[in-house]
Amino acid sequence: MLEIEKTKYVRNTGVVSRMIADETLVVPIRGGVGDLDSIYSFNPVGSDIWSLLEQEVTVEEMCAWVTDHYEVSREQALTDIQEFLSELVGTGLVNSVVEASAV
Amino acid sequence: MSIEVTHRCPLECLHCYNNLPMADTNARSSELTFQEHCRLLDELRDAGCLWLLYTGGEIFARRDFPYIYKEAKKRGFLITLFTNGTMITPAIADMLAEWRPFAIEITLYGATRETYEALTQIAGSYDRCMRGIRLLLERKVPLKLKTVPTTINRHEVYEMQRMAEVDFGVEFKFDPLVNPRIDCSASPLGVRLNPEEVVALDYHDAKRREEYRRLANHDLVAETRPARDTEHVYSCGGGISACALDPTGKLSICVISHQQSYDWRNGTFQEGWDGFLWETRKKKRTRPSRCDRCRIQSLCSMCPANGELETGDPESPVDFLCQVAHLRAYALGLNVPEHGDCPACPGGVHHPELRRSAERIEKHEIEVGSWHPRIASSSLLPVLQAKEGCGTGACGSCASHHG
Repeated sequence: MLEIEKTKYVRNTGVVSRMIADETLVVPIRGGVGDLDSIYSFNPVGSDIWSLLEQEVTVEEMCAWVTDHYEVSREQALTDIQEFLSELVGTGLVNSVVEASAV
Repeated sequence: MSIEVTHRCPLECLHCYNNLPMADTNARSSELTFQEHCRLLDELRDAGCLWLLYTGGEIFARRDFPYIYKEAKKRGFLITLFTNGTMITPAIADMLAEWRPFAIEITLYGATRETYEALTQIAGSYDRCMRGIRLLLERKVPLKLKTVPTTINRHEVYEMQRMAEVDFGVEFKFDPLVNPRIDCSASPLGVRLNPEEVVALDYHDAKRREEYRRLANHDLVAETRPARDTEHVYSCGGGISACALDPTGKLSICVISHQQSYDWRNGTFQEGWDGFLWETRKKKRTRPSRCDRCRIQSLCSMCPANGELETGDPESPVDFLCQVAHLRAYALGLNVPEHGDCPACPGGVHHPELRRSAERIEKHEIEVGSWHPRIASSSLLPVLQAKEGCGTGACGSCASHHG
């Protein structure tokens, strides 16, 4: 089994998300998390994925949720989710968690 | 949303509009508790509020302020802090580095120890402020500095700017308009600069002068001016995009408006926002004002709250502010179109002196750099030092602060 299939992702506890005027805003609140001078906002699909990330979730599970709720191919959803996750992990808003059994 | 966590302060600045002694037990016992602040934060978050300003008094005069602040951070607010910096310890600075605010603004009262402490009236306060600034800078907390020019520190305003920008590498700003106190005492006016000093200080900085010229030109071009609301008392952002809460939980349009307020302790923020503040915003003017047709409003700080504080009437223009605004225009060589019975316009009681001041400023006859300290006399305006407020009963502030 590939490691990526078992990797789970979850929000960093150093960020808080706020729903303001139907828009999800993510605010880093502690040192070492994201850019403390920035706030982040997501489009509707991004907001849905952010909601899923409240608990540990795999790319496969996110992909299944997106294809169930939006008219998009699995391949396109997978590409977009991986790109989005890469940005979230890069800015420190999301952490990846590799399960021991998968390594 | 501006939240005053306390009016208590370790400094006794002569110009302050709301400070109370640290040992004021009445003030302390009436402040919102930590638990009440948490409830307030929950309600503000649920109402969609994003920006918070914590101010005082001195915010760190409350030992539990760091805990209140962290609760606000945990709820995702973007927070600005106003402080005098004198109570910032290494532990507080560490906390602010970890839980970084959007901005923290420290007010300087002088560039030298002598001037700073002449205004704060507290020995040792200058060194404590400098320590606070260094502690924050060492930890890269986003700091800005500012001052309120008064007769005590006017000669050091531009040295304070140099200190901030060159020595500390941070932004600096100043606002020379001093208000009467919210408890109706006019004692701060004893150290307020006169209109000539205000404008000379403004225009000593070429960039600042050109910004006023840009604003004036915009105001004086009729085609670009938006229609002005002359129907309602309030036309600012108060009650629309912002409001204020005092240390006891009284909700109002802004931090200096206290004639009308809503007791949050007996309700909720949403009720106060939808009910009291909305009703306040709808309040109709009772008469026309010379401000209605005035074409230099961008040069003027007049607002209903200033009217309340200075005259007891939110609809009354403040004479001092009219003089400052007109002098800003005259010193740029601009004329102000006729707009009613105005004491600062041709024929008005202040006009000849304002024209003379404008000439002195335009000819650079006022050397801000050569100004010297001018120590205020406590007996200069004895009637303004009243400890029991003005006694007019125009607002509830007297009872709440001196009862």
